Amino acid sequence: MKILVCLKQVPHQDARLEVAPGGTWIQDSNIKFDINDYDKYALELALRIKDAGEAEVVVASIGPDRATQALRTALGMGADRAVQVWDDAFAATDSLAIAKTLAAVAKEESFDLVVMGLMSDDANNSLTAPMLAQFLDLPHVTSVVKAELQDGKVEVERELEGGSLEVRSVPLPALLAVQTGINDVRYASLKGIMAAKKKPLAKKSLSDLGLDAGAVAPKVSIAKLYVPPKGEGAELVEGSPAEQASKVVAKIKELGLL
Amino acid sequence: MAKVLIVGEIQGGALREASLELVAVARGLGGDVVSLVLGKGVQGIAEDLSKKGGGKVLVAEGDALEAYSADTHTAVIQQAVEAEQPDLILLSNTPNGWDVAGKLAAVLDVAAVTDVFRIEADGDGFLLTRRMFNGKFDAQLRASGRTLATVQPGAATAYEGSDAGSVEALTVSGLSSRSTFVEVRKAAAGGHDLTKADIVVSGGRGLQKPEKFDEVLEPLCAALGAQMGASRPVVDAGWKPHEYQVGSSGQVIAPKLYVAVGISGAIQHLVGMKGSNFIIAINKDPDAPIFEVADLGVVGDLFEVVPALVEALKQAKG
Ligand SMILES: Cc1cc2nc3c(=O)[nH]c(=O)nc-3n(C[C@H](O)[C@H](O)[C@H](O)COP(=O)(O)OP(=O)(O)OC[C@H]3O[C@@H](n4cnc5c(N)ncnc54)[C@H](O)[C@@H]3O)c2cc1C
Repeated sequence: MKILVCLKQVPHQDARLEVAPGGTWIQDSNIKFDINDYDKYALELALRIKDAGEAEVVVASIGPDRATQALRTALGMGADRAVQVWDDAFAATDSLAIAKTLAAVAKEESFDLVVMGLMSDDANNSLTAPMLAQFLDLPHVTSVVKAELQDGKVEVERELEGGSLEVRSVPLPALLAVQTGINDVRYASLKGIMAAKKKPLAKKSLSDLGLDAGAVAPKVSIAKLYVPPKGEGAELVEGSPAEQASKVVAKIKELGLL
Repeated sequence: MAKVLIVGEIQGGALREASLELVAVARGLGGDVVSLVLGKGVQGIAEDLSKKGGGKVLVAEGDALEAYSADTHTAVIQQAVEAEQPDLILLSNTPNGWDVAGKLAAVLDVAAVTDVFRIEADGDGFLLTRRMFNGKFDAQLRASGRTLATVQPGAATAYEGSDAGSVEALTVSGLSSRSTFVEVRKAAAGGHDLTKADIVVSGGRGLQKPEKFDEVLEPLCAALGAQMGASRPVVDAGWKPHEYQVGSSGQVIAPKLYVAVGISGAIQHLVGMKGSNFIIAINKDPDAPIFEVADLGVVGDLFEVVPALVEALKQAKG
């Protein structure tokens, strides 16, 4: 069994984000990065399949030099090989272009299962996975919260709203886009990190994949990124924690809830 | 002017409110509006939509459409797009909406933008506004050419006018789905029903460690006689069971008092609690979106504010 995990390196959840001077992206030169949270769960899903039997796990990412770190981490967690793709054309890109490029990566070999996160923590698009499934002509399920491999198929649960879950049976090969919380994500052990240094990491350009900048020209671009305008907002209580506390208590009393 | 195709969504045998919100968005653009309703036994829903601003409503009926499937829905919507040649295709940003949107955009090779709350025409395309970075920033996106967008439920008020539209059958043959629908089930419910509580105190990722829920949040719950809730990351990390989760994929509650502690206020969380009668937010980030829906805001370190609050509550009660 061969599994492809597509992952993205995004700003660390605790990074302080600011809009960059051009006003179309964040200031990303001096912040910490991490593997996208959703993708960590996807990787863990793949690694558990590997742990349970025979599987090779390949991780792929489209990202600049710094993204090598995310792939090394994934290798440290237990993935077998990595593919990193970059071209300056991706500096301003859209989901369709990313999905086309990932499709080219996937088509270089033959995968039984493709897993990735439902969305990225930066763009929040939730488009790449179903787009990639289409380009690879695979059935897909998004918002996956449970996946069990059976003979030639995978039984999945898809999260709907308000605590409802949809059970679906999907023939392999297939693509799954996972929700957060689906499993307990492992950390890379020291031994794993050491081993990762020797694992293959292939760097590819667009032309290596038979693509060019024209093939990945975006149809969607960011015109403006900005801090959401403030509405009326909450009445803010000022002072020391003790002063703030007594004002809050006064309010709760006023509401008749004490 | 832009021609818009609305893709209606059926849930529990009825058209979702969110689909009527799409009608409002489409009508706001001032061009032609056509709609698509697909499912089994949906003729009546289509007729109803045609009278509620949906314009000409295409209806695709069939056994193969009884349960949602990305394969069948993509095929039907694709056919409606080919028949109507819209400039803009609107779906709701729901689990089915985002499951099909990307696939459809790839099939049609068109610009796609999800979870938008504002759309304006712009040259041969559109300007679409949405949140990014989990709610930290807004972004205005420029989409060129035919565009597919999913609209955030609740972003617009459902269209309330009544207009005389029409209904037309859309015949789609040879539909098949590679994956099969088995069932929809409810996540196992525990004994922790937040919907009945007068006061709910929820903790978020800001609490940093599972033991802080016992050490810091539990005393506040006790002092207020509140039930404890949580945001999704807390449940994802296994710190609290799913029945604690407040939000679009958890419980939707409207207590007399909701206290959000160390919760940023992502839209999926807000959906679950913004109907509360009174909301107090405690967060160290003055720009946290939770302060936009809160009535009373405390900007500060929760590890200082919450113990102080517990103390003050004890004193007030004597
Ligand atoms: C399909 C889908 C469904 C979802 N369903 C839900 C749902 O049902 N419920 C839900 O909650 N989320 C849901 N989410 C996730 C949601 O998008 C957010 O990721 C989540 O709500 C964030 O949780 P949080 O506010 O606890 O964490 P964060 O966004 O990380 O916020 C933590 C906050 O704590 C503050 N903080 C940190 N330290 C301190 C301190 N010492 N003192 C005071 N404040 C501090 C920070 O300033 C920050 O604002 C869903 C997402 C998707 C895509």
